[in-house]
Amino acid sequence: MTKSNAAEPRDIFFVSNSVNEMGGVTSWSHQMARLFSERGHRVHIVGVVPPPEGRVHELAPDVPFKTTTLYTEHPPSVRPVRSLKDKLNLVEQRRRAAREAGMQEQAAKMSALFRAAKPGGVVIVTQVWAMEWVALADTAGLTVIGMSHESFDTCRKSSRFARVKRFYEDVDRMLTLTREDADRWIRQRMDNVGFMPNPLPFFPEVPSDRSHKCVVSIGRLHEEKGVDLLLEAWARVAPQHPDWTLRIYGSGEEEEALRKQAAELGIADTVDWMGRTGDVPGALRESAVFALSSRGEGFPLAPMEAMATAVPCVAFDVAPGVHEIISDGVDGLLAPPGNITEFARHLDTLMSDKDLRDTMGETARTNIQRFSTEEIVPRWESLFALLER
Amino acid sequence: MPVPDVSVVVIVYNDADRLPTAIQSVLDQTLRDVEVVIVDDCSTDGSFEVAQRFAAAHPGRVRAFQTPENSGAVGEPRNVGIEHTQGRYVMFLDSDDVLELNACRNMLEAAEKTGSDIVSGLCVRLHKDTRNQKRDEWYAWLYSTTRTVESVEEFPDLFVWDTLSTNKCYRREFLIENNLRFPKGIFYEDLIFIAGAYLSARRITLIPNQVYFWHVYQRAAVKSVSNRRHEMTNYTHRLEIHRRIDALLAERGLDDMKLAKDVKFLKHDLVLYLRDLPFRDDAYRQEFAELSREYLASIAPEAYERVQPIQAICAYLLQQGDWDNLIPAVDTLINRAKVSSPLTERDGRIYWCDGHFDDAFGREVLDVTDVGYHEKPVNQLFLRNQLTRFRSSGRSVALTGRITNPLGVIPPDATLKGRLEFSARRRSLQSFHFPVRVLRHDGDTVHWEAAADLTAKLRPLGIVDTIWDVRLRLDVDGVPTTTRLTVADTELSGGLPVRPRLTRMVADHVEPHVSAKGHLAFRLVSEGRNAERVQELITRGVQGKPGTLAKTGFRKAKALRQKVVSGDNKLRAYHEVFSRLPVKKRTVVFESHLGKQYSDSPRALYEEMRRQGLDFEAIWSYAGSPEGFPKDATLVKRWSLPYLKALAQAEFWVDNQSYPLKLTKRPETTYLQTWHGSALKNMGFDMPSLKAQTREQQAEQQRSLDRFDRFLIRSEHDVHTLAKAFRLKEKTLLRVGYPRNDALVRARQRETELGRRERGPLAAELGIPEDRTVLLYAPTFRKAGGRHGRFELPFDVERFAEQFGDRYVLLVRSHYLNHVVLPPTVAGRVIDVSARHDVTPLLELADGLITDYSSVMFDYALLDRPLVFFTYDYDEYVHEGRGTYFDLLEHAPGPVVRTEDDFHKAIKSFESQAQDYAKSRQEFIAKFGEYDRGDAAKSIVDQFFAQWSR
Repeated sequence: MTKSNAAEPRDIFFVSNSVNEMGGVTSWSHQMARLFSERGHRVHIVGVVPPPEGRVHELAPDVPFKTTTLYTEHPPSVRPVRSLKDKLNLVEQRRRAAREAGMQEQAAKMSALFRAAKPGGVVIVTQVWAMEWVALADTAGLTVIGMSHESFDTCRKSSRFARVKRFYEDVDRMLTLTREDADRWIRQRMDNVGFMPNPLPFFPEVPSDRSHKCVVSIGRLHEEKGVDLLLEAWARVAPQHPDWTLRIYGSGEEEEALRKQAAELGIADTVDWMGRTGDVPGALRESAVFALSSRGEGFPLAPMEAMATAVPCVAFDVAPGVHEIISDGVDGLLAPPGNITEFARHLDTLMSDKDLRDTMGETARTNIQRFSTEEIVPRWESLFALLER
Repeated sequence: MPVPDVSVVVIVYNDADRLPTAIQSVLDQTLRDVEVVIVDDCSTDGSFEVAQRFAAAHPGRVRAFQTPENSGAVGEPRNVGIEHTQGRYVMFLDSDDVLELNACRNMLEAAEKTGSDIVSGLCVRLHKDTRNQKRDEWYAWLYSTTRTVESVEEFPDLFVWDTLSTNKCYRREFLIENNLRFPKGIFYEDLIFIAGAYLSARRITLIPNQVYFWHVYQRAAVKSVSNRRHEMTNYTHRLEIHRRIDALLAERGLDDMKLAKDVKFLKHDLVLYLRDLPFRDDAYRQEFAELSREYLASIAPEAYERVQPIQAICAYLLQQGDWDNLIPAVDTLINRAKVSSPLTERDGRIYWCDGHFDDAFGREVLDVTDVGYHEKPVNQLFLRNQLTRFRSSGRSVALTGRITNPLGVIPPDATLKGRLEFSARRRSLQSFHFPVRVLRHDGDTVHWEAAADLTAKLRPLGIVDTIWDVRLRLDVDGVPTTTRLTVADTELSGGLPVRPRLTRMVADHVEPHVSAKGHLAFRLVSEGRNAERVQELITRGVQGKPGTLAKTGFRKAKALRQKVVSGDNKLRAYHEVFSRLPVKKRTVVFESHLGKQYSDSPRALYEEMRRQGLDFEAIWSYAGSPEGFPKDATLVKRWSLPYLKALAQAEFWVDNQSYPLKLTKRPETTYLQTWHGSALKNMGFDMPSLKAQTREQQAEQQRSLDRFDRFLIRSEHDVHTLAKAFRLKEKTLLRVGYPRNDALVRARQRETELGRRERGPLAAELGIPEDRTVLLYAPTFRKAGGRHGRFELPFDVERFAEQFGDRYVLLVRSHYLNHVVLPPTVAGRVIDVSARHDVTPLLELADGLITDYSSVMFDYALLDRPLVFFTYDYDEYVHEGRGTYFDLLEHAPGPVVRTEDDFHKAIKSFESQAQDYAKSRQEFIAKFGEYDRGDAAKSIVDQFFAQWSR
C-alpha cells in the first residue's frame, strides 16, 4: 500500500515500562512504531523508567520515531498497605508520599506531550504498570488503548490481574492478543475489550527446504520456556532417529542445569547448545522442525517466524495465542500442556515423514501470512477510526 | 443527510420518572454516532413532554413520536419506532431499562466485521429493589464466547431460549426487506418477532458482552405481563404464539428446531403454569387442561425423552387428565427432591404411579427406575405429607394429614413416632415441638393427627422471626425422616393469639399461610389497634437509620464469625497453636481415601495393631458420617479442630492418599504413607498437568510429598513409577507389600492347602446361593455423567442378568466418587456393593474380576483367579488422558474386550480362562506384587510399633 492510500496521519504514542528493555514488548512496539511511521503517522515512544541494567536493547541509530523516558532512575517501590501496622509505618509512608509526588510530576510531563497532539491522536499503553502514569496524565481529546500482551491465564495468576481490571476499566479499548482471551476478559465484566494479534516480524525470501535433519528451539533458557520438557521428549525420540540433532538457541540461567539433565538422559551427543543468535532467519532456514516447549505464552513470535520460513512446529498448547497461530494437524502439531508423550509422538511423526514436513511447512508459510504487516496495520487503523465514531 | 450508525428505539408508557435514565444511557454511549427515537404510547403522566424536552435539547440526535392511540402493549410503539429510524442498525430499549455504555460500539463492530443481520449480546436482569442489586444473566451459557452462525438452524438453543428482542442489534435494511414487525393484540409479541427475525437472518453473531440491563422491580404495583400467570388469557396467548411459531417452522420444514422448541415447552413454558396449579380452583384446572391437551397433542414424543422425568410425567398426566396423580406430581415438580407418589413396581421396573400400563408411551414416561428411588432408605427420602384437615379453635390447631409411603418404605409393622416442629425460618432461632398423637398405616399412606396449643407454647421473639415453618419429623424404627406439610385444597382458617417475648405490642397473632413451595407456614401478625401502630413504628425503625446500622452490624459480626472458623484460620490454629503443644506418645492418626472410608492398608494395619493388643491411642478420621468406623477408636471429622489437633500432636500419621496438603508435618511425627495401589496411569510429576506447572508450583507440591517418611512398595514397578513420580528418596521406601493384601495372599495359600475355595460369611450376608459363581465388576473413576449425571454401566445390566443370572452373581462396585443405580429386575443376580467401605473382602469372595484400568487388578491378581478387562474407551483413556506407564494390552493377564458382545463372549469362556491365562497371571504377580507375601502388616508393626506391646 502506498502512502497516498494511508489513513489520515495521526499522533501515536506508545507508553511502555521502558523504551528499550530487552523482550517481546519492546520488539513489538518498535516494529509497530516503524510500521506506523512508514504510513505517515507521527510516532512517539514513551518509557516510564530506564531499562534495568543488563537488559538494555540497543536502539538502531536511525529510528523513525521519537523516544522519551520520564524518570532518570527507578522511582521508590512501595508495598501495598494491608494492615494497621503498614499504615503506621512512617518510613514507608514517606516513601509513598515521595513516590506519589514523583508520579504527578512525571504524569505532567506526559500531559505536555499529549497536549501537543493533533485531534485524532492515540495513546497505546503496552503494559498495565505504565497505565498508572497515563491515568494521572491529561488525555483529553485522545483515544486511549490499553494492552495486555499475555494470555488471560498467565495474567490471572499474577498481580497484574487486579491492576488490569482497575486501570483498564475506563480506557476506550483494552486489547488482548486473541479473540479467546478477549472473551474471557469480557466475562470478567470488562465490556470494552477487543483483540489484536501481533504482526509477523519478518517474511524471508528463501524458506527452509526442511532437509537438514535438525529440530530447532529458540528462546531464553528460563524455566518458563520449558526446555527441560523438550529434553525429556527428545530423549524418547532421539534413539529412533540417530541422524537427527536438536539445536537449542538461547542462553540463560538454566543452561547448566539443562546440560546436566541432557547428560543424565543420555542425549548429550544429539543436543547442540548454540547460544544466543543474532541470525534467527539463518537458524530457521537450516531446520526441519521447530519445537515450542513453553509452559506459558501470549502470542509467541518464534513459531510465527518458523512458519514464515516454512518450518512446521510442534508445540504445547498452553495459550489461545498458540492455537491461534498453529492449526493442529494442518500446519503444525499441538500437544496438551506438559504431555511429553504426545509431544514426543508429534516430533517423531514429523521427523519420520519428509512429505508431511513439506506439506505442513508450505501450508504454514501460506497460513501465517494472515498476520503479515499488510494485514495487521490496516486493522489498527480501522480500530482507530471505530473508536472515533 | 448523514446516516447514523445506530438508531435506538426507546418506548415509553406512563414512565416519565425513569425515561430520562434510559435516554441518557443511549446519549452516553461510547459510540457517538447514535440517534434516539422515542415512541410514547399515549402516556397520561407527561412522558411525552419529557421526550420532547430531550428532543429539543439534542436536535438531530433525539426525536420524539407518539402512537396514534394507546395500544396497551410494547409491539405497536416499536413498530412505529422502526418506521422513523434512520440508522444503519436498529436496537430497542424500554423506558425502565438501560443500555451498557459500550453496547452500541461492540455490536456495531461485530456487525461490520461479520456482516451479520443480527448481533446479540448478553442481557442482565438487575433486581433493583434487592440489597446488592442482585443480577442474573439471561441464558449466559449461550453467550460464553463470541460466535457467528450462518443460520439459526446451526444453533437451535438460541432460537428456543433467547426470545428477547431487546438485547439485539438489527440491520435496518434487514428488518425492512423481511417486513419484520411486532404482532398486534397479543401478549409475548417478542417471541413471534424474534422467531421471524432469527429464521430470516442470513448470519447471526453472538457476543459475550453485556449490552442490556433489564431492571426488575419485584414489588411493582402493577405486575408485568409475565407475572400475572394466573390469568388464563395469558396462557391462551402463549399457546397461540407457540402455534404461530410452529407454523413458521413447519413452512420451512425445520423438524429439529420444532423438537428443540417442544423440549423447551415441556421444560419451561408448561412448568411455569403447572407450578401454580395446586393453588388454583377446579374451574381453572379444567380450563387449563382443556387448552393444554390440544397443544400437547402436537408435541413430538421424542421431546419427552429429552426433559427431566418429572417434567415428562406431569405433561403426560395432564394430557391424560389424571388429576389424582397430577397434583401430587406437581409437588415434586416444585420440590425436586420430594417423592410425592406411592410409586409402583411391576415386572422389576419402578413406575411413578399405577395405571396407564396399557399405553406403551405412558409406560415409558412413567418408568422412574433410573431415578433410583427404590434404592434409598427412608431417611434419604423427602416424602410428601399432605395436610387433609386444618382446624383452628381459639388457642390451638388440630392438624390431620397423610404421608406418602412409596414402595412400602415405611413397613406395616414399623414402630412409628412423630412430632410437629415449628421453627423460625431464620435459622438458629428457636423451635417448638408438639407430639403427633395418631400415626397409623392407611392403605399406601401413613395417616397422622396432631394438635398444637400454639397460644400456650409457641413463644416467638417478634420482629426477627415473623415466619414459622412447620415440619413433621417422623421416626421409622429409629430411623428419622423429615416431611413438610403440603396444603392442597385444604381450607386454612383463622389466626391464633400468641405472646411474643418482645411483648404483644409487636404482634399478637399467628396466621396460617401457604409458602411458595406449597407448604404450611405461619406468619406473625398484629390484629389489635395498638399492635398495628407499633408495627408501623418498627417498620420505620428497621428501614431507617438505626435499623440499617443494626443490620450492617449484624452482617459484619456474621462475616467475622465466618472468617474466624475459615480454612485459613484453622490452618493458623494448626501451625501456631496445636503444633506448639507437646507430641502425645503412642498416638496414631489413621485416614483412608481422604476420610471417606474405613478401609485399605490403614485399616489392615490398624486391625493388626489391635490384634497384637498394642497399647496406643488410635484416632480415625472420617468425612461425612462416622458410620462404619471402628468403635474402639477416637473418631474425628476431617478438617475439624479436633482433627487438626490430633494431627498436630500425633506420633504417627498413617494414610493412603494424603493428609491436607497445607498441613506441615512436625519432625517428631512419622508419616507412614501406605498408598492405595500400583500405577498404570501416570502419577505425580509424571502427570502432564504437573509437568506443565511452574517451578514454584512444583516446589509446593513437592513439599507436601516430602512429608512422607515411609512409603510402602509392592514391587520394583512401584519404585520405577510411584517413587520416581513423587521424587521420593530411596531411604523412605519400605519394600514390604500392602497390609490390605495380606488377606488375599493368605486366602490363596489356604485355597492351595485345602484344595478348594472357602466362602466367608460375606456370601450369606449378600444372599448369594452356594451354586453361583461370583463375579466382581470394579471399574475406575470416570468424570462423565449420563442422563441423570451419574456413572452409567457400559453394558445392559438386564441383558447380562438374563444371560448369565442362572450361573453367576455379578457384584458391582463403582469408584467411590461415582454412583450406579440398578433396576429391581436384576435383584439377586446383580448386586450393588459400592457402599461397602472395604473392597478386600469382596475381592476375596469373587471368583473372577472384571475391571478396566483400576489398580484393583494388581491386588486381585494375587488370588490367581481369572480377570477380564472391559476397556470400552481404551483409546480415549490412554491417549487423551494423562498416559500410562505400560501398555495394558501387552501385559493384561486376561482377555481385553472393548464391546458388550465380546464382553459376553469372555464371560461365556470364563471357566477355561483360569487355565489359559495361568502363566501370564504368574508373570503379572511377579512383576507387580513381588513383595506382597502376606505379612506386610506384621512386619510394619515389628518395625515401628513393637515396643508398644503391653
